[in-house]
Amino acid sequence: MITIPYLTALTTYFSYGLLFAFGQFRDFFRKIFDWWGTTNLQGYAPISLDFEDFYTRRLYLRIQDCFGRPISSAPDAWFDVVERYSNDNNKTLKRTEKRIKCLNLGSYNYLGFAAADEYCTPRAIDSLRRFSASTCSPRVDGGTTTVHTELEECVAKFVGKPAAIVTGMGYVTNSSILPVLIGKAWLIISDSLNHNSIVNGARGSGATIRVFQHNTPSHLEKVLREQIAEGQPRTHRPWKKIIVVVEGIYSMEGEICKLPEIVAVCKKYKAYIYLDEAHSIGAVGKTGRGVCELLGVDTADVDIMMGTFTKSFGSCGGYIAGSKELIQYLKYTCPAHLYATSISPPAAEQIISAIKVILGEDGTSRGAQKLARIRQNSNFFRSELQRMGFEVLGDNDSPVMPIMLYNPAKIPAFSRECLKQNVAIVTVAFPATPLLLARARICISASHSREDLIKALEVISQVGDLVGIKYFPAEPKKQQQEKGTIKLE
Amino acid sequence: MANLYVKAVQPPDLNRNTEWFLYPGVWTTYILILFFSWLLVLSIFGCSAGMAWTIVNLAHFLVTYHFFHWKKGTPFGEDQGIYNGLTWWEQIDNGKQLTRNRKFLTVVPVVLYLIASHTTDYQHPMLFLNTLAVIVLVVAKFPNMHKVRIFGINGDT
Repeated sequence: MITIPYLTALTTYFSYGLLFAFGQFRDFFRKIFDWWGTTNLQGYAPISLDFEDFYTRRLYLRIQDCFGRPISSAPDAWFDVVERYSNDNNKTLKRTEKRIKCLNLGSYNYLGFAAADEYCTPRAIDSLRRFSASTCSPRVDGGTTTVHTELEECVAKFVGKPAAIVTGMGYVTNSSILPVLIGKAWLIISDSLNHNSIVNGARGSGATIRVFQHNTPSHLEKVLREQIAEGQPRTHRPWKKIIVVVEGIYSMEGEICKLPEIVAVCKKYKAYIYLDEAHSIGAVGKTGRGVCELLGVDTADVDIMMGTFTKSFGSCGGYIAGSKELIQYLKYTCPAHLYATSISPPAAEQIISAIKVILGEDGTSRGAQKLARIRQNSNFFRSELQRMGFEVLGDNDSPVMPIMLYNPAKIPAFSRECLKQNVAIVTVAFPATPLLLARARICISASHSREDLIKALEVISQVGDLVGIKYFPAEPKKQQQEKGTIKLE
Repeated sequence: MANLYVKAVQPPDLNRNTEWFLYPGVWTTYILILFFSWLLVLSIFGCSAGMAWTIVNLAHFLVTYHFFHWKKGTPFGEDQGIYNGLTWWEQIDNGKQLTRNRKFLTVVPVVLYLIASHTTDYQHPMLFLNTLAVIVLVVAKFPNMHKVRIFGINGDT
């Protein structure tokens, strides 16, 4: 539920209309000029239809310098951003030799494993020397080393399921496993804000897809009842199986899934659940085991648990955890297991070491400290931002916090002003988010110290005043102090 | 006005091209754009109020016919072209007919026609042009015209 000031909604529509109109004018004149000039197509068809890349050419390229900024150091709490300039109004960008040291508020570095770690890095380098950088073959040929089997056992134990299978890339885990598990007479009910990898996997499976309103178990129940009653399209035969796909933390909203209610609904109507914990594994929960631990859901109730290692573990790849029969079946059929190169051994060793640190098996309490720190950092940052009057989405305890911008002009303004003050922020616009709801997304890490966060808050507050995104009235600090003094008396 | 807030629930529409129309404030923005363009035409051309409404009506006809009923597909490539055969009008509300949004969009040209013909005192040639505009727009929005291409004009290549 997002609260938009009405005037902002009107001005946002108007701004997008104006940008669209200007883009159409420029396209129109470009067509006329090109008709006069010669083409070098020589009988070849064009790569994309002229309307298909309209958004990229006329809207995205104008503010291209805010996206895809190259960095030249590890994505720790502070990192080096390469400075770029453009001679043709952002159509092409050229890199300079200058590096700007910025505070990193954009990397998914939830537990701080992205930079060198005293326990994980020596072990990863050791594994690199032993096994080399790549196995150069898929798992079934020659790509299963002792590291891989250890990793799968480690992941299964960590997540709380009997067995797990690991693939080399996070996106591919969803888009290659869903078509294998799900066939033609199945029904997939997916949350309306699911990630693109799930959408692609679902489309590739050939099953029927229905969408339910984001994080609303009552609407899920309504859709389930409607679909079970109607049956398959045209033949109206009963569905072979129904699977509900949800995510643990939604990366664009920072909201945590309402898992207990959704599990209850699925049990009632005998549907399977697929939980994508890309952002929540390792980052939430008392011992970092994800949303199931945070919300008190038994892992035996969730049929398939999927996650990635890119966010909290500082590595690459994804996993699927489930029952032994499921994982055995996947090992026979999943193309990512049969044909894709297996996960690189040093990356796998990094994950194993990171899990050991989180669980405290390395002999120190650094894991528990990291988990406590990310929770404290997230809650502190979120409450401070809300106090200053920003509209921040997401639940408490979630390390992802989007700040709403709305107007398209505020996106590059916020991004560039923050970069001038050495804070690197990721801004997200259409089509990754709905048209109206452009936002700046902040990901808090356990490696951010309190001073870093306070500096970030100062910069964001200043830039927020300049750009005009404090949509809510700020709560004055004085009131809190007075309340405190009254209580003491 | 600055303190008036609206709640936006994200609608379950997967088509990013049409999903923006389901948020609050779209209808008001549409009506305000028409009103402000009338003021703009009045100030640029210095014509009578009726003439300005006629110009707005005809410009509205050209613009909405081109973008709602002529241009097909979506302005971005991420959906891999599954809507490439459908105009914007056929895409909204997932193809469901006679929803609130569709009824509103059908009423707007009719209201514009009534305003334009009233303020020009039903004189020719403005009346003829306005009538032509409203007939074409309203017929294009009929449920029976869903995915119909007359004589194959604007059909898929």
